[in-house]
Amino acid sequence: MLPLVLDDLVAGYGAAPVLNGLTLEIGARERVGLFGPNGHGKTTLLRAISGLIAPSRGSIRLFDKPISGMSPAAIVAEGLIHVPQSNLLFPEMEVLETLRLAAHSARARQTTAASLEGVLTLFPRLAERRSQKIKTLSGGERQMVAIGVGLMGAPRLLALDEPTLGLSPKLKDELCVAIGDIAKSGLPLLLVEQDVEFLLELTDRLVMVTHGRCGVELDARQGIDHATIMALYFGEGHAA
Amino acid sequence: MTLETVASVLASALVLGSLYALMAAGLSLVWTTLGIFTFTHGVFMTIAAYVAWQVSDNAGLGLGEAAGFAVAISALAGLGCIAERLLIHPFLGRENIVMIAVITTLAALTFLENAILLIWGPRLKQLKPLATGTVGFAGATMSAHQAIIVVVAPLVLVGLWIVLKRSRTGAAIRAVGQNREAALLIGLPVGRLYMTAFAASAILAAVAGILLGAMRPMTPTMGAEPLVKALIVAIFGGLGSIAGTIGGAYVIGLVEAVSTYWVGLYWTPAVLFAVMVAVLLWRPNGLFGGN
Amino acid sequence: MPALASPGAVVVVLLLTGLAFLPLIGISNYVEHIVIISCIWAIVAASWDLSLGYGGIFNFAHIAFFGLGVYVYAVGTKALGAPTLAALPLAGVVASLVAVLITLPVLRLKGIYVILATFALSQLILQLVLSQNQITGGAQGMVLLPALNLFGVRLASYGKVGFFYFALLLVFAATIALRWVALSDFGRSIVALKENEDYAVARGVSIGRQRLIVLVASAAPAGVTGAFYAAYLRVASPEVFGFDTLSIVLIILLLGGAASITGPVIASFLVTSSTEALSNLGPARFMVIAVVIVVILRFYPGGLDALIEKLWSKKPAPMEVMRWIQRRP
Repeated sequence: MLPLVLDDLVAGYGAAPVLNGLTLEIGARERVGLFGPNGHGKTTLLRAISGLIAPSRGSIRLFDKPISGMSPAAIVAEGLIHVPQSNLLFPEMEVLETLRLAAHSARARQTTAASLEGVLTLFPRLAERRSQKIKTLSGGERQMVAIGVGLMGAPRLLALDEPTLGLSPKLKDELCVAIGDIAKSGLPLLLVEQDVEFLLELTDRLVMVTHGRCGVELDARQGIDHATIMALYFGEGHAA
Repeated sequence: MTLETVASVLASALVLGSLYALMAAGLSLVWTTLGIFTFTHGVFMTIAAYVAWQVSDNAGLGLGEAAGFAVAISALAGLGCIAERLLIHPFLGRENIVMIAVITTLAALTFLENAILLIWGPRLKQLKPLATGTVGFAGATMSAHQAIIVVVAPLVLVGLWIVLKRSRTGAAIRAVGQNREAALLIGLPVGRLYMTAFAASAILAAVAGILLGAMRPMTPTMGAEPLVKALIVAIFGGLGSIAGTIGGAYVIGLVEAVSTYWVGLYWTPAVLFAVMVAVLLWRPNGLFGGN
Repeated sequence: MPALASPGAVVVVLLLTGLAFLPLIGISNYVEHIVIISCIWAIVAASWDLSLGYGGIFNFAHIAFFGLGVYVYAVGTKALGAPTLAALPLAGVVASLVAVLITLPVLRLKGIYVILATFALSQLILQLVLSQNQITGGAQGMVLLPALNLFGVRLASYGKVGFFYFALLLVFAATIALRWVALSDFGRSIVALKENEDYAVARGVSIGRQRLIVLVASAAPAGVTGAFYAAYLRVASPEVFGFDTLSIVLIILLLGGAASITGPVIASFLVTSSTEALSNLGPARFMVIAVVIVVILRFYPGGLDALIEKLWSKKPAPMEVMRWIQRRP
């Protein structure tokens, strides 16, 4: 029973689909990194599996259960949690209040206390900021809340969309450690990033998304050099 | 100008401000949650008053005031849900939802006003006051019913504040209003929360309608005038924060009471408009800032 | 000067010409009445189209211009003894003055607040009319207004035929005038302001002046028409400010389409004859209109909704803006 199986997925906005028959599997305890040029479907893929947009073709199975066409709330209840890119969350709400609210499904509510403790251990800074409004937080802190919000939903599969976008190298390292801790727990992970080095460190397998399909796959455990990556992005001619 | 004059103007300002605050808080709740403005708010008041009359009055079912209020408030909660499903829900996600909602709620207003006329006819009706007698207030007197309005309205609004601030549903409603997509991604039932907010706003209108129905004769169009005052309050206080809207309501109540006393009832609409324009020139985002 | 002709304009000319022959073949008073009322709503809707469709100004006080016209005729001729014919242009002037008043909040506010402020203003005018009991008759309104007198000829002496031709003439004149304004250089400048405000302002278009002129140009025909309405029915009732009136004009605009002037004129004849056919339903007639409005918005999103789309979203139409900008010296 695989955590996630996507078969021949077609989805997008309006007439032109962004995903063109995408197929992908995530194995038990597997951490998969998605990379590739902008506008080729990474974010659309996450929006489709979390129910924000309805695929026009293909199937999505979460632990063997078809979830395509289900509402975002039902998908969250099944345990697929999507933490979107540059999540502004709820600007006027306080940190702790937001984290508690994020444990919304019946399943997540049972583990509220434990999840909260886990999040505050992972990001001690959030404990200091617990009664601050989200709009007063720094970009890094807000990203911590966003990931914390994802964990509060008691995920069985966590999808993070560019969690370090726009952050300083120092903060990036900090978040990298935190995501590594999450990954060590055995939670299946779908991680979208531009930074391949970051993915190499955190995931088992890298998949390149181009033209709405999954392309080249790389095994993260064998080191991959810079030239290979450049070749993937820009074609063989730029490899040197 | 005697102390009594000041006291009686203040008393009248408190009564008006309390009613407008009840009305405008509902409009602001819908605006901050759904991002739309609902013109049905005034006619919801009217329906609540008529339903309460139908259930409580001896010319109707004669079941007494308590039953009348209970039925009216539940009926309006239901009507709020239906209205949201028919007028707002089908259009969610369209880019021009703000304008569409203006038109659909105006259409619903026309529909409901004429429905009231068909069901209850044009003859004046009135609810019994919640209490008889008068209450002294710093040398001025107000009717016991008005005194109840002055006390009940802030209590209802504090209740609303506690629900929004402390309850899980309240937090969810605030969250949906601040970021719909993030709310979807933590699994909040956005559609149901929209309906809940709309129903809560209809309940606020119902309370205002019942209180008003015992103060003035009821007509099918009795909601139009309070709606306009609530609009002015909304422009004045800004729709963005419920607290700002409530503040604006008491200010407008005071302006209206002062103007009615010194300028007269007839020209008070003109004074209100002048004040509104003056405030806009001075602070385009409303008296209490925000957007 | 661009051509005033368009498929819509051709239809309007054919329609009005055809209607002008109707009395010659002998039609009932009732049909004449429907045509007269259609002409009246046609002007109210088409003049709103100028500020809404072309100007992109969400002025929900447009009905009040019409209502003011009604009361200018009623109060002017009955209480102040003004000549009945003079009351028509006077109504246009009064409506224009109120339009000037509206420009202030319209310029200061954005989005929903424009709708709220203008809507509030129209309702405050209604309250003023209702409260000035001794002059306006309050909620009862005014009856037995003086008959319209055209240079010594009582228009009513010829049954409805006099009003019939007067109404056709008014709607014809208003359509030409409104289209002329909309398609002139001035009209292009207000469309440019609607579609790309920053760019148009940067090119030297005065936002205050243009919005003021478009509101006045849209208010004046509505005011004159209000006076004509009062002269025809010889009563003035506060209902002209009400939601029922607003719903009729809204449905005409929704059906007719925005930014065409001719669309609402044609739609008015369709809507008015249908609603008059329902007039024995009483108040339920407006309930039907309300349901149809919501149904139009709900089920014809591609067709009729497209017009609101065009109105509400300020998507720049670079071609249109560029064409106008290039015309400037």
